[in-house]
Amino acid sequence: MRNDSNKWDAPAALTVGHTENGVALTPIELTRQTLISGPRVLSQADWSIVGWPGIAPTPPYALSLRRDRVLLVDGPDMADGWQEDTQRAISDASDAYSVFDVSGDRAFEVLQRGAELRLDAESKSVARLLFGIGVLLYRVNTEDQFRIHVASSHAEALVKSLKLAISALRSAGQGNSRPEDALSKTS
Amino acid sequence: MQIFPCPFCGPRNETEFHFAGELGKERPDTTQEVAAPDWATYLYAQRNEKGPVREVWMHLTCSELFVMERDSVSMEVVGSGSLREGAE
Amino acid sequence: MTSHRTTRAALIDLGKPLRFTFDGTAYQGFEGDTLASALLANGVRVMGRSFKYHRPRGPLGAWVDDPNAIMGVTLNGRSLPNCPATTTPLEDGMQARAVNAWPSARFDIKGGLDLFHRWLGAGFYYKTFMWPDWHLFEPMIRKMAGLGDISRNVLEDYCADQVHDHCETLVIGGGAAGLAAARAAAEGGQNVVLVDDKPVLGGGVHQLAGVEDFAPRDWVASEAHAIEAAGGRILTATTAFGIFDHRMVGLVQNGPFGTAPRLHRMRAARIILATGALDRPVTFASNDLPGVMTIDAACEYLARYAVLVGKRIGVLSNNSLADDKLAMLAEAGAEVVRLNPADGAICALGRKQVRCVAQGRNSHKVDTLLVSGGMTPLVHLWRHAGGKLDWCTERQAFLPGAAPEGMVAIGAAGGTFDLDAALAEARAAGSGVPADAIPSRYKLTPLWPEPGSKGRQWIDFQHDVTLKDVELAARENYVSVEHLKRYTTLGMASDQGKTSNMAGLAAMAAVQGRPLPEVGTTTFRPPFVPVPIELYHGHHEKQLWHPLKRLALEQEHREIGAALGEYGGWLRPGWYGTGDAKAHIRQEILTARNAAGLFDASPLGKIEVIGPDAEAFVDFIYYNTISTLKPGHIRYGFMLTEGGIVMDDGVIARLDRNRFVISCSSSHVGSVRTHLEAWRQDGNDPDRIFVHDLTDHWATLTVAGPKAREVLTDLALDMDLSPTAFPHMTMRETRFAHSPLRVARVSFTGDLSYEMSIRRSKAAELWQALVAAGERIGAAPIGVEALSILRAEKGYIMIGKDTDGETMPHDLGFGVPRQKKKVAFIGDRSLHSVKANGARRKMLVGLTVSVGDKALPTGAHLVEGTPLQSVGYVTSSYDSPTLGHPIALALVENGTERLGESISVWHMGETRMATISAPCAFDPEGARLNA
Ligand SMILES: [Zn+2]
Repeated sequence: MRNDSNKWDAPAALTVGHTENGVALTPIELTRQTLISGPRVLSQADWSIVGWPGIAPTPPYALSLRRDRVLLVDGPDMADGWQEDTQRAISDASDAYSVFDVSGDRAFEVLQRGAELRLDAESKSVARLLFGIGVLLYRVNTEDQFRIHVASSHAEALVKSLKLAISALRSAGQGNSRPEDALSKTS
Repeated sequence: MQIFPCPFCGPRNETEFHFAGELGKERPDTTQEVAAPDWATYLYAQRNEKGPVREVWMHLTCSELFVMERDSVSMEVVGSGSLREGAE
Repeated sequence: MTSHRTTRAALIDLGKPLRFTFDGTAYQGFEGDTLASALLANGVRVMGRSFKYHRPRGPLGAWVDDPNAIMGVTLNGRSLPNCPATTTPLEDGMQARAVNAWPSARFDIKGGLDLFHRWLGAGFYYKTFMWPDWHLFEPMIRKMAGLGDISRNVLEDYCADQVHDHCETLVIGGGAAGLAAARAAAEGGQNVVLVDDKPVLGGGVHQLAGVEDFAPRDWVASEAHAIEAAGGRILTATTAFGIFDHRMVGLVQNGPFGTAPRLHRMRAARIILATGALDRPVTFASNDLPGVMTIDAACEYLARYAVLVGKRIGVLSNNSLADDKLAMLAEAGAEVVRLNPADGAICALGRKQVRCVAQGRNSHKVDTLLVSGGMTPLVHLWRHAGGKLDWCTERQAFLPGAAPEGMVAIGAAGGTFDLDAALAEARAAGSGVPADAIPSRYKLTPLWPEPGSKGRQWIDFQHDVTLKDVELAARENYVSVEHLKRYTTLGMASDQGKTSNMAGLAAMAAVQGRPLPEVGTTTFRPPFVPVPIELYHGHHEKQLWHPLKRLALEQEHREIGAALGEYGGWLRPGWYGTGDAKAHIRQEILTARNAAGLFDASPLGKIEVIGPDAEAFVDFIYYNTISTLKPGHIRYGFMLTEGGIVMDDGVIARLDRNRFVISCSSSHVGSVRTHLEAWRQDGNDPDRIFVHDLTDHWATLTVAGPKAREVLTDLALDMDLSPTAFPHMTMRETRFAHSPLRVARVSFTGDLSYEMSIRRSKAAELWQALVAAGERIGAAPIGVEALSILRAEKGYIMIGKDTDGETMPHDLGFGVPRQKKKVAFIGDRSLHSVKANGARRKMLVGLTVSVGDKALPTGAHLVEGTPLQSVGYVTSSYDSPTLGHPIALALVENGTERLGESISVWHMGETRMATISAPCAFDPEGARLNA
């Protein structure tokens, strides 16, 4: 029984963007996020399916999460529950995930601080751990605009981790002198 | 830091996975009489083999429960496959 | 004080002088120096004191192998303990101080300990301070032990950056072999990373007269240029400190002094090990005197830092590599006196540094004594990766044998000490085009410690382990190398035995008359060099060590003075208000009992089970029968493990035919979700059952208390709140602020209670409406602490607090499904085991105390019999503001059959009496619950 209020920063306003070292962290407002599960959900070609390191088109699009689950982004309003004709389980999850974009030339370097990521290792799922926190990670619009969905209750921790990683870019690339420089410094 | 292959997601870091058990445990039909030794074997007996093993793992980020073949000494991963019949 | 700096062109920048102090004396060095090279240049020989005997010590090596010169360093207010002087780049303004020495390395007060060395052999402390009790002596000994002092200043921004990376070919070591291999691989089109631990590439190349018609530094620069031109990357000042599973290589990249290093987790498809070899010291009498150094170290000091370590140098070498090196020293102006190991054992003489070397009847006045006992390949990383070692008789060294997958060792690391052969091997490894091996020209005569020989001969310099200690260990039967290591602490210092392990093995082999390879080696473990612990945790510290989940309403709670704390992985209000916490909690309880408490229950699980087989699935998952539940209704139930143990409790609501929502405990959401997923896919048809965890989508706010209905009435929801239309254990769906609202009549306090779930983004609107409505009838927010007491008054349990790893549902008074349920469910068979039917099961009860007695301590044992035995314990205990007396819950053997009996309660030596009662102390008839 302890008062730890001061040990934890009050949640930062996640509506405000953050730009540092050429990388922007931007909160994204989506209209709707819908969890859809079903045996054929990946082959029912209602929406374009996005995996890693896919670049999502203009919404609506469906993030591939599992062999039988997608998260539909900005899709139509659908009734929650079991849909007999399509064999789908549907749940509105619009507030389950907070959404951010990390963009800029060095955005990928930021993300590499949180996971062993490779752009040449395709994955059918956008779900992974980033900084130890479960996220959905993919790209939108361009090659260096990454979008992250994170469980709302963990958004604060993820934003903190991302900000630290963005700051760390400042010193990266310094410190290890190129060999010619190191040799030319000597008389 | 091992790399495990999820049959759905592909190769991922071991931190995304959770060991679920040795392959081959069949749950006894408990609506019938189950002898105490059989139930105890089901609950507690582990082969705990040294060398090549077949195990059930869960990929926590996609919840896939799958079979992985690996070597418990060299840590080499031989391969993985879906627990569901017919799934790729 | 004479300068040892020569005019030789080296890798220091004479245009950039740097000022620094050592043990309070000011010196000057240059950019490119290490602390050790700068001190040697200034003629400083004594740079530290040994760990046990406080013997004066100077550097034996020039890089990571040095065990002796360890310093505390301060720069710009940042202090770091235990910096090896040989690997710490000099910076302007550094203040260095020898560790383990007071007032200075040269005049160490504890130096007198060395006079008692005869009694301070291996195991001295174990043997001497056994009687009467080690603990009497421990504080004094602890004070004497250990190196460096830790600064009291916390380096707030000392946070290691951590990066994941990958490459096709990782070359470890930027000497001749590493550079050539990296170039060949990069020019062959591979994605190459070359790492080298020194700030300047080249390894031992700078000692050479030339490489393939180039001056050494030009050759190094052209190789480096070619690597980068072919797309390769080069990281200097970066040490590969460990190889982990599946070729994950840990790289520590050092920046300026006082900044946290960066961790690269480098995944390499292929690893080329070009880590080189160490020149190993020779074991002879007084071989630890300052001024005794390896030949290779002396040549590195000259080649890299233009420091000639001595003017008159004695040399003892058993191998063919010495000749070229000695020529370099002579050319720089040293007078060299060679000693032949075949002429007998040598002995160094001098007090604070070597003055003379004696061999048989001959003695030579020298100021420095250089030795080489042969090359020891650096195979640490090879062993981390699971590679085998083979003993090579010709080289008297362990060489890389059977290779780990995707790994090869080249150059000196592989036992190839000749430059031409190393380059050929490196290019073959880099390009993948095989080349003929060039025969080795390396010649060596074995030169190992001789047991029984005279004088104090050091094996492990930093930990003061001598040949006599190894002999003693052998006499006392600590003959396994692993026992030898732990008994004598050989190889356990911060240098991890880089120079001492081979000598130790050889000494043990000689003592026992066994061949050296039969003695074996100890285990090589990461890290190869000491790295700060911050490297491993990076920014995963403080609030990011184990980040708590955060409520949608945290800001609202803070604004009304919530005392936040961790409860089950979430940061939640424990109570509201500053000052006396107990008074606030008491008031919140009374508010909840007299009017209503408003409680943020958002962490409660909201896991939906959806699909045609959902009904059968929840029957299998739950101990209780769920299939009989009608839509809109709620049931309380348990989930069990297959061992029959209660894993979670909570309510499950049926939304419609194919859809249930499981409201598991706040702290169990993750484990329950995984449990459901595992069983869904194993033994059920996963195409007919789907599990959606929507805990984060829904915020849950509870109004509990006799006036709860008035609060809800104020919200003007479109629903009939009368007890007949909306009874206890039912759920209704409606709307609030244009969003779906689920209202469940469930209670965790024993009073009329409504649990309302709404999407997270609307939680604040609902909360404000509830607070406003509540104020009119005296309702107010309550925290987790008040709820914990409210539920205990009612006898409601918390899993893991009021149950333990043996509790089955019938121990909690829920025995019916065990007897009646027909379909299979998880844990079913275990409920009929001998143990489950045992006569002495611990069951949930309440405990009451006599009027005026204080509350029982939680955790106190319930005891009886002769001798006294524990038959249970108190699981929850509080002063009940509602009832005006203490209440308690307990698990006690056969408890439900013993209601009304007295029992002794023992805690910390005190015994009190209590009476066993039913768990529920508040409204046992349930009139308030069903109101
Ligand atoms: Zn997966």
